Amino acid sequence: MCTTDEAQAFDERARVLGNEQVGPRLYKITLDAPRMARSVRPGQFVHMQLTGFEAHILRRPFSVYRVLPESGAVEIIYQTVGEGTNYMTGYAPGVECSIMGPLGHGWQPCDGKLLIVGGGVGAAPLFMFAEELAKSGHPFEVVLGAQTESMLVTRGDYAALLGREAVLATDDGSVGHAGFCTEPVRAQLATGEYAGVFCCGPEPLMRAVAGIAREAGVACWVSMEKRMACGVGACLSCVVETHEGKRRSCVDGPVFNAKDVVW
Amino acid sequence: MVMAVNMQVNLGGLIMPNPVTDASGTFAAGREYAAYCDVSRMGAVTTKGVSLNGWEGNDAPRIAETPSGMLNSIGLQNPGVAHLCEVDLPWIKSQGVPAIVNVSGHSLEEYVSVVEALEADGQADAYEINISCPNVDAGGLTFGTHVPSVEAVVSACRVAATKPMIVKLSPNVTDITEIARAAEASGADAISLINTLLGMAIDAKTRRPKLARVVGGLSGPAVKPVALRMVWQCHNAVKIPILGMGGIMTGEDAIEFMLAGATAVAVGTANFVNPHAVNDVLDGMIEYCERFGVSDVNELIGGLQC
Repeated sequence: MCTTDEAQAFDERARVLGNEQVGPRLYKITLDAPRMARSVRPGQFVHMQLTGFEAHILRRPFSVYRVLPESGAVEIIYQTVGEGTNYMTGYAPGVECSIMGPLGHGWQPCDGKLLIVGGGVGAAPLFMFAEELAKSGHPFEVVLGAQTESMLVTRGDYAALLGREAVLATDDGSVGHAGFCTEPVRAQLATGEYAGVFCCGPEPLMRAVAGIAREAGVACWVSMEKRMACGVGACLSCVVETHEGKRRSCVDGPVFNAKDVVW
Repeated sequence: MVMAVNMQVNLGGLIMPNPVTDASGTFAAGREYAAYCDVSRMGAVTTKGVSLNGWEGNDAPRIAETPSGMLNSIGLQNPGVAHLCEVDLPWIKSQGVPAIVNVSGHSLEEYVSVVEALEADGQADAYEINISCPNVDAGGLTFGTHVPSVEAVVSACRVAATKPMIVKLSPNVTDITEIARAAEASGADAISLINTLLGMAIDAKTRRPKLARVVGGLSGPAVKPVALRMVWQCHNAVKIPILGMGGIMTGEDAIEFMLAGATAVAVGTANFVNPHAVNDVLDGMIEYCERFGVSDVNELIGGLQC
């Protein structure tokens, strides 16, 4: 088990460098935030105040997709799910927003071959982790699922890391396995090669993957997203039910061992 | 040359180096915000509500954003008074600031037991008796909305409490001055207001409530006009000092509360928006005093010119 040196959190003025649509209801925003780019670890998130949207007072938590420490850029892939993310799509380069971070406990590799499972926009918070595994020569495979091919927006970047295509699944069968990505996950784990599963996506998917991993006797970690206010562990809004009681997604998570979660 | 402004206030016997504390439940016991703000510059740290043996709190979702505000139904999740005394109060004291402990209970006896435990521990500098939480089924709001139960809880806590005792009032009443007078007559050294306004939010698409508990407490800038009105009413109704709160985001907001009659102010929901709000509010107050030639912040208390 690696140890992390998760940095002390801070808040930083981030300037929008780019904000482009990358798929249906999917966008990638690139922020100039040099300190954050140097500090954030795989699976951690930033808490963003939406400039110009102050009547909606709460910050929005976003997992980081990728950082470019040399240029100071932080990339976030987001899906428009409500008024805040819809408003964000209008941000032009130059807009400045306050971001807090790096927040939460991210992904920690375990020894042996690892399976990364990203459902929908949940593929994004796993990318930095995959990058780190690739860099250190840690063996891993990637399963990506989405409703349809055009929503597999991280597919190219994962393929570049792997040197080949990830295992794909689409609900409509437009590419890869036709159906949820749970079947490819089951098939991968049936090989007996894996020591750990790392899953992010809609909660029903994470629950299903956690169940498959448990049946296969493989450890599994999931990233739990809950409605959040403070982001620092103070307000107790974002609690996750665990076998040890209610835990805060923002500081005790967002990554939890799936066996601790009360599904 | 910039003159030195006196910011020290006396909240019912609690000497605060400046008028700014946090609103209970928005700041934990301060440590979570220490990376973002200087807790040692606060007038006091007000802790999250504490019960005798701890509570699990309500199911999620526990919050919902609403126009210029938010609803919460956390349900006073807390690990109990022993944990507070062991872990949180030493940290607050290490910052060199007074600790106001928010006291909660499901029964009159529980409130008293918590105060007794805090008295025995000795680290708390003041108590804020929470008879106004809208998010628990027993205790909380049920104690704070009619005069006889206010009198019973406050009198019972008074017997146990040697430290300054602040009683936190609910806005969810017909006449808040009646409750304020009852608290004063029963031995409160100060009152704090407002707790959150009971509200709800509905998702029309799913036809479901946005909070698991259906109803919750409204806070944030949306409630500020209601809070100012109630602080002003209570200032005209009682002699004990007031800790004013409700939607304070800036130093100027805080000044408005002092003009309405508050001796000190609490910053709540603003912490979620701006993690150094408690420092920024104080800086804004000092700036106001300097700009308007106020040499002592106490001059502002109740200074509203109608």
